[in-house]
Parts: sequence; structure tokens; C-alpha cells
Amino acid sequence: MRVEVVLRYVGVVMLFMALFMLISAGISYVSGVDSAFYPLLLSSLLTALLGAFPLIFVGRCEQITNKEGFCIVVGAWLVACVVSMFPYLIWGGEFTLVNAWFESVSGLTTTGSTILNDVEGLPRGLQFWRFSTTWIGGMGVVMFALVILPSMGRSKMMLSNVELSSMARDNYRYRSQIIVQILLVVYVGLTVLSTVLLKMAGMNWFDALCHAMSACATSGFSTKNASVAYFNSPAIDTILIFTMVAAGIHFGLIYATVTGKRNNIFRSEVTRWYLGMLFVGGLLIAVSLYAADLYPTLSASFRHGMFQFVSVVTTTGFATADSNTWTPFAVIILIFGSIVCACAGSTAGGIKVNRMVLAGKMMRTRLKLQQHPNAVIRIRLDGIIQDNEVLHAVMIYIVAYLMFLLLGTVVGALLGIDLTTSFTGSVASMGNVGPGFGEVGSMDNWSAMPSAFKMTNTLLMLLGRLEIFGLIQIFLIKWWR
Amino acid sequence: MTGLRKRVTVGFLSIVCLLFFSGMISLIELGHLSRDTGEILKANARNIELAKEMLDAAHEQNVALIRLSVFGDRSRDSLCRASMDRLENTLLVAQNEALDKSFLDSLAFATTELRIVTDNYLAFGDLRSRSDSLAADSLAGRPDSLGIRWYNEEYDALYGRLTAAIKNYMTSTQSSLAPRAEQMKKNAYRAVTPVLISVAVMIAIVLMLLYFLSIYCVSPIERMNKSLGDWLAFRIPFNVKGDLKDEVLELKERIETLINQSKQPKA
Repeated sequence: MRVEVVLRYVGVVMLFMALFMLISAGISYVSGVDSAFYPLLLSSLLTALLGAFPLIFVGRCEQITNKEGFCIVVGAWLVACVVSMFPYLIWGGEFTLVNAWFESVSGLTTTGSTILNDVEGLPRGLQFWRFSTTWIGGMGVVMFALVILPSMGRSKMMLSNVELSSMARDNYRYRSQIIVQILLVVYVGLTVLSTVLLKMAGMNWFDALCHAMSACATSGFSTKNASVAYFNSPAIDTILIFTMVAAGIHFGLIYATVTGKRNNIFRSEVTRWYLGMLFVGGLLIAVSLYAADLYPTLSASFRHGMFQFVSVVTTTGFATADSNTWTPFAVIILIFGSIVCACAGSTAGGIKVNRMVLAGKMMRTRLKLQQHPNAVIRIRLDGIIQDNEVLHAVMIYIVAYLMFLLLGTVVGALLGIDLTTSFTGSVASMGNVGPGFGEVGSMDNWSAMPSAFKMTNTLLMLLGRLEIFGLIQIFLIKWWR
Repeated sequence: MTGLRKRVTVGFLSIVCLLFFSGMISLIELGHLSRDTGEILKANARNIELAKEMLDAAHEQNVALIRLSVFGDRSRDSLCRASMDRLENTLLVAQNEALDKSFLDSLAFATTELRIVTDNYLAFGDLRSRSDSLAADSLAGRPDSLGIRWYNEEYDALYGRLTAAIKNYMTSTQSSLAPRAEQMKKNAYRAVTPVLISVAVMIAIVLMLLYFLSIYCVSPIERMNKSLGDWLAFRIPFNVKGDLKDEVLELKERIETLINQSKQPKA
């Protein structure tokens, strides 16, 4: 493996990070040179130097091997998490080393959990930097690098192997360079559209942009301490529900639908399951809340129930209410939503609807095979027969996912954290959702959690974002053949 | 970027820039820290100086008033007024210079009270001085019983309140030391963190430079040296593999040309 090639392309990603730091510094300057200007400018210079250095020595590379591509992706994620700590650390305030790492990983993995007690106390420049990390993370740091790496020829696809689930790649049915363009068009288009709609609904431009970036990245960072509940506007809630639902759908399908192609949202089996789950889950929560007299009307129950369910299923994590006070039935549905999450090929994390649908079909097939032992039954998804290898991988992934959830819960319990907090905290981190229940509820933050628990959860966030095996394999790279 | 010399120069220049950069940051931040510390010490010294001035003025006025009220010494009138003016002027200076004016509120109130009582007494004293009995007492050196009563019942309590307020003002900088120390701690953190991050980045760059120099300069030269030695000793073909560029590649090609030339029979 050529380490220098890995360093070069990780360096390019660093240059992107430096650019966004510079933009944040610009916002800080426009806001009257607030206290974040100097930390952002300094961080931008240091990151740019770090990123540009390998480019001095290493030239363009025509071919990248599978192993190198993998190392570029994982390396870029890890180094991006480190450098995005710089502005937080230099600014100080509530950001200790552990807190800065947590905020940085939470942003880049689009988890959206925060350690900040007073989000509104942050200067604008630093606020914007938080949203930039989440926006960059949502798209995938490496997807950015792909756009400006014209010299990689046939090896482009190697970089997305880790970033996108294998099913998502199959479904795209486009060449890798077009995938990047599709992702960018959908992502930027959705962000712009959402910003304009939120502005029209009553937010100021800054809040509208930040919330749109957060919703498109399915992150859940907010500029307000009370999250979206601060605005208390049905119009804003509706726009954000629309954005979150769209961000949870396979981006290739959105593009196909908009451009009038045949394989669109309406023909996708996975999307139908996803939308059906959102509607049924939201409705069940609404009925539960109304029956428990938590809200005066059914429409208010539906509004909050639907928003919160969409928010956790799409792994966004915005909140319009404190779901800690909701009924146990509503809570268990929300936890279920936090584990299943949205579709592959979107910016969402979690197990993903695709895998759950396949797992359900495999169970049905198992039952049929017990009745008809000699039958040959093929499992199809969207009309395509799925290989045994894919089905095998799905089951392994689900088992590994649940094992890591258990591990996270055990670590939390060992540190003396109550079971609800440690389990739902692990679910929220592993699925890149953000809010859990107990002490890490939708209206709480992670500041009071022990440092060891924060660090464990950042590991879960990275595992979830890199589809578990992506991160594990970096430690086994020496044995790759 | 091409050329070995250029690459190495740029690499080292980056490190120099970073060193300069982190040096400048620490210099600026330590300058801020030193300025903050100096300001705290200066504020403390100035505070004590002004408090001493006020205590002196109050004491002077107190002595003058004792002479005036107890012994009817009218010559102390002007000293009494001058001391009061001095006290008020110093208070005004303190009010102008103070960052936290809340500590001076009680002092200003006590001074105003004292001023009213003193002015009333001095005006009343003027009227009394024209009376024959007081003039006779004064000439005989006998104490003024009315003046003593006034001093004990009205003035003394106000004087005590004033001196207490001045002492409170004097220790006010000590009370505000905790938030200032907290601010200094924050400044110290801000001074150290950028330097630490710069050093971390510098370490990363130095390691990268070491790696690049190793794979692009040192290793190829070592390989060429070994291969050339093998050719000279055992006539093993000169064959250097790897990613060579710049002058190193040129050197390899020239060695190959030289070997090829030496292989050809001499004319």
C-alpha cells in the first residue's frame, strides 16, 4: 500500500475542511469580528498547511487500489474529526478536549448530540462551523474529495465502497462520477429549497440556513437551546418534516423522480416501506399521546408525534417536545425507529430499512422452507434477486449492530449510568440519531455524562457512520490481501 | 511542484513558517496575559492609594471638627471645608476610574451624609460664634457641651460609617480578584491551546517530511548504491525499482547510460 497516496487524498479533504473554516471565519467577521474569528482563522491556516503539505511531494495518481481507497475514506473521517476540533479547542468555553472531540465527531457523523449547555451563547462563526461539520459529514467527507479528484480514473468507486452501503451502490445504476454529481445536486438543491421555505415560514436567514443544513444532513444540531420547539411554528415543523423525510430517501431515487426516470420513489419497495413506517409510527404515537391527555387535541398530538418520529427515524434528532415525558408506548416506538432508521443511499445512519425489509423476507422464506423443504425460493428486493452473499452480509450486520448496542449499554452501566440513559444513548449514537431518553433526552445534552461514556459513544458514532466493518477493518489492514 | 531542491525547501519552509507562527501566537497571547496581570496589579495599587487619600482627608476633617466643636476653635473652619473637598474630589477620581462602581455607592452615600451634617454644623456654628457665652467659654478654654453632644450623637456615627465604607472600597479589588483570576485562567488557556495545536500540527508535518524524504530521496539512493555496487562487484544488472522522480530519476538514468557505455567495446 502506498501511504503517500493515502496522505495526498486525505490532504485534499483537509483543504476542504480548511475552506469551510475560512467561510465560518468570514461569517464571524461579518458578525462584527466575534470571539470565534481568531480561533477559526487560526484553525483554517493550520488545517490548510496540514492538508497542502502532502501535495507538495505526492503527485496525481492514476490508479488507486481497493486497500488505498479504503484507507483514504477511513483516514479522512478520522483526521477530519481531529482537525474540526481545532476551532472548539482554541475558542475554549465549554469545550474541553473530550467535549471538543465529542462535538466534532457528533457533527461529522451527523449524530447531532451536543455537550453544550448554552448553544445560543456560541458566537455566530462557531455556530456556523458546527453546522458546516454536520453538512460536510452528511454528504460524506470523501464524496467531496471525489468531486475534485479528476485524476483517479477507474478507481473512483473504491472510495465510495465504505461510505455507501453495498445495496445503495447497486441501486444507483449510474457510473461513479455521476453518483457524485447526483448526490451534490440533490443535497445542495434540498438545502437551498429548505432554507428558502424556512425563511418564508418566519426564521431569519442564519437560522434558516443552519436548520436546513442540519435537516439535509439528518444531523439535528440547532441554533437554539430548545431545538425546533423554540420556534413553536406548525409551518416550520411541516417544512422540516418534509426535508427530513426527503433526506432519508435514497438520493439516487430522488434524482430519478425529479428527472422523470422510471426507477423512481413510487416504484421503490424500500421507499414504500419507509414512508409506510413513518406514517404508521407517527399515527400510533399521536393516538397514544392523545389517549394519555398529553396534548389537548388530536392534531397537536399528531403534529408532535409525527415530527418526533420522523426526526428519529431519519436520524436527525430535532425536537419539538420533551419525549421523556411521553407514554411508554410512544417511547418504545421511538426507540424502534432509532434502531431501524431510514433508507440506504441517504445521509441517515442506523440499520436501515433495506436491511430490515430483507431480514423480514428472509424470516418469511425460512418459514416457507420449513413447510416446503425442497422449494427453491429467491428473495427479491425491488424485483431484483438478491445474492446469498448480500443476505448473509445483512444478517451479520444486524447481529454486529445489536452486539455493539449491547456493548455500549454495558459500558454505560459499568460507569454507573442508569439503564435507560446508557441503552438509549448507545442507540442514539450508533444510529447517528442524537437524542435518546433519560439524561440524554430530546431536551437534554451530554455535558453531565462521564468522559469515558462520551468517548465510548463517539466510537459508536464512528462505527455507525462507517457501517461497522469499515472502521474495524482499519485495524486489520496489515492482513489484507 | 518539481525538483528535489524545491520540494525539500518548501517542506522546510513550511516548518519554519509554523515555528514562526506558533512563536508569534505565544508572544501575542502571553502579551495579553502579561497586560491583564499588570492591569490587576495596577488597579490594586491605585485603589489602595485612593483609599489612603480618602482616609487621610476624613481623619484631617475629623481632627478639625473635634477642635471646632469641642473647643470652639473657629480657625479650623477652613481646614474642615478643605478636607471635605479633598475627600469628595478623591471620591470623584475613584468613581471615574472604577470598573465596578457598585463598591463606591455606599461610600458616596456616606460622604454626602457627612457633607450635609458638616455644612449644617458649620453654618450653625457661625451663628453661635456671635453669641457672648460661647465666645467667653472659648476665651476661657472651656469645652463646648453642645458641640460635644453634637459630635457624639450626630457626627461620630457618620464618620464611622464613612471610614468603614472607605475600608470596604480598599478591599474591593480583593473581592473582585476571583472573577479576574478566572478570566486570567481563561486567557492562559487561550495562550497555551493554539501553541499546543500548532506544535501537534508541526509534529505531523515533520513526520510526513521525514517519510517523504525517506521514500523519495534516501531509499532510492540506497537502492541505487546497492545495485551499482552489485554491478561493479559481480556484474549483476543495474536494476532499481520503485517510484523515482526528479533528480533521483535523472541520476538513475545517467548511471544506466554510463553502464551501457562501459559495456560497449572500446574502438
